[in-house]
Amino acid sequence: MEQNVLGLPAGFRDVMFEEAEARRRIENEFAAVLGSSGYREIIPSGVEYLEVYERGKQGVHDRAIRFLDRDDNLLALRADFTPAIARIVAARLREVAPPLRLWYSGPVFRKTDRHRGRYQEFAQIGAELLGDASAAADGEIIEIALRCLERCALKDVRLHINHAGIFKGIVNSLGLLAGPLAEIRSAIDRKDMRALEMRLEELGVDGSSRAEVHALSRCVGDSQTLETASGAITNEESRAAIAELSALWRRLGRWQEKVVFDLAEIDEMEYYTGVMFTFLSPSHPDELGRGGRYDGLIREFGADMPAIGFSFSVDDLRGGL
Amino acid sequence: MNTTVLIALPKGRLYDKATELLARAGITINGSSESSRKLMFRDSSEKYGFVQLKPIDIPIYVESGSIDAGIVGSDVIRELESDVYEPVDLAIGRCRMVVAAPVRADLSHIQSLRVATKYPRTTERHFTRQRRHVHIVKLDGSVEIAPQLGLSDAIVDLVETGKTLQENGMRIVEEVALISAKLIVNRTAMKRKAADLQQLITKLDTVVYENP
Repeated sequence: MEQNVLGLPAGFRDVMFEEAEARRRIENEFAAVLGSSGYREIIPSGVEYLEVYERGKQGVHDRAIRFLDRDDNLLALRADFTPAIARIVAARLREVAPPLRLWYSGPVFRKTDRHRGRYQEFAQIGAELLGDASAAADGEIIEIALRCLERCALKDVRLHINHAGIFKGIVNSLGLLAGPLAEIRSAIDRKDMRALEMRLEELGVDGSSRAEVHALSRCVGDSQTLETASGAITNEESRAAIAELSALWRRLGRWQEKVVFDLAEIDEMEYYTGVMFTFLSPSHPDELGRGGRYDGLIREFGADMPAIGFSFSVDDLRGGL
Repeated sequence: MNTTVLIALPKGRLYDKATELLARAGITINGSSESSRKLMFRDSSEKYGFVQLKPIDIPIYVESGSIDAGIVGSDVIRELESDVYEPVDLAIGRCRMVVAAPVRADLSHIQSLRVATKYPRTTERHFTRQRRHVHIVKLDGSVEIAPQLGLSDAIVDLVETGKTLQENGMRIVEEVALISAKLIVNRTAMKRKAADLQQLITKLDTVVYENP
């Protein structure tokens, strides 16, 4: 149709003048902080084999914009940076002595539901610290992220922190099958406490384990939350995870005031393997960005390396200013 | 609006029950009624703001964060596959979502069932679980008339008493889901406005389950 030449496909837009300048400024601030902290920029390919995203977050893989090349290979527009970085590290940076410090910035493409007013292309910026599984690395990546936000003049940012091992420990101690486990996970994820309680009882989970799940679902708050949690939770795996959060907390120094421990948030829990976090601004309805430790991802590409990273949506950063 | 928490209320069959429940939780809404043309108003403590919306729109507003919380039927939440918290089942607006068909129809012989419904996604999920192939016809209302007029073999719709089905010569074939109204909350609002929303959740949970 003739009129389409001047329009755009649904879910896409042009970024003009002030907005383009704002994006550029944010990118420059990040580049300054990351560059001076030993992080090096990479620009991953804009197109990957779809398979690359199968190894990352499920929700991203499902929403990748896919197409065939001339040999009928199934490809996707860049839907996320982290799986691409895992591929790059496994393919060409295996021999480099760790740790690796990388950052990136650019567009990602994800299908959205029709008519929900969401864009299918958005700008992401982030960093990854690979080859270091220590609490020091966890602290470094969080501090770098907060310094970038401070440099962009984002005020009153809150950082909600959790650790994937806490919930995994409880789940493993319950010994449930996949089906019931999915129901329990869904009830916690929706914060539907009464449905959770009822289902646990129906499944014959004993009272003390039920109490642990229940205690976890209420553990939201300052560093006192960690003490409450370690008082209520007995399994070793969860307790080790809580201890890691305490160690992280002690490292955060002047950033401690920005932290909320949110042990009840289990969104994307299956993807992360350790510390996980979300950045929020009181003045902006969407989260600014998120990140965490994903020690299993690079193994999916045939190399073995711990990794932690963060990424922000540049437009949400602008919204939070 | 200078309120801390913005809440969406559903127009239609749930409206009176929802405001009554809020009143019992100590949240009375100023000068509002469903027929009022004014779409936004506050409670008497000025702590909450309210917006009247069509139920189908409520999860969209709440998921996007334009509105912090809402009261809406689980039929709509499931249909839109909304990514929101559902901290309180309010136990109002209870009904069943069912597959129904004309009394004399034998569905087992139909290879590819035509199903009329307001809930295409829920219907698709239901029949996919059964590994049954169906053709879905999306309608906006009066779904129970579709089989009589030859548009479909069966319907998926809500039933409260079953009277409408009976009057249209239909019977319930099977249940799809139990439906009731829920309080839904935006995921980031729950973190940004934790204290106020937790208070709302506790108040509603108390009137529904502790002091019914």
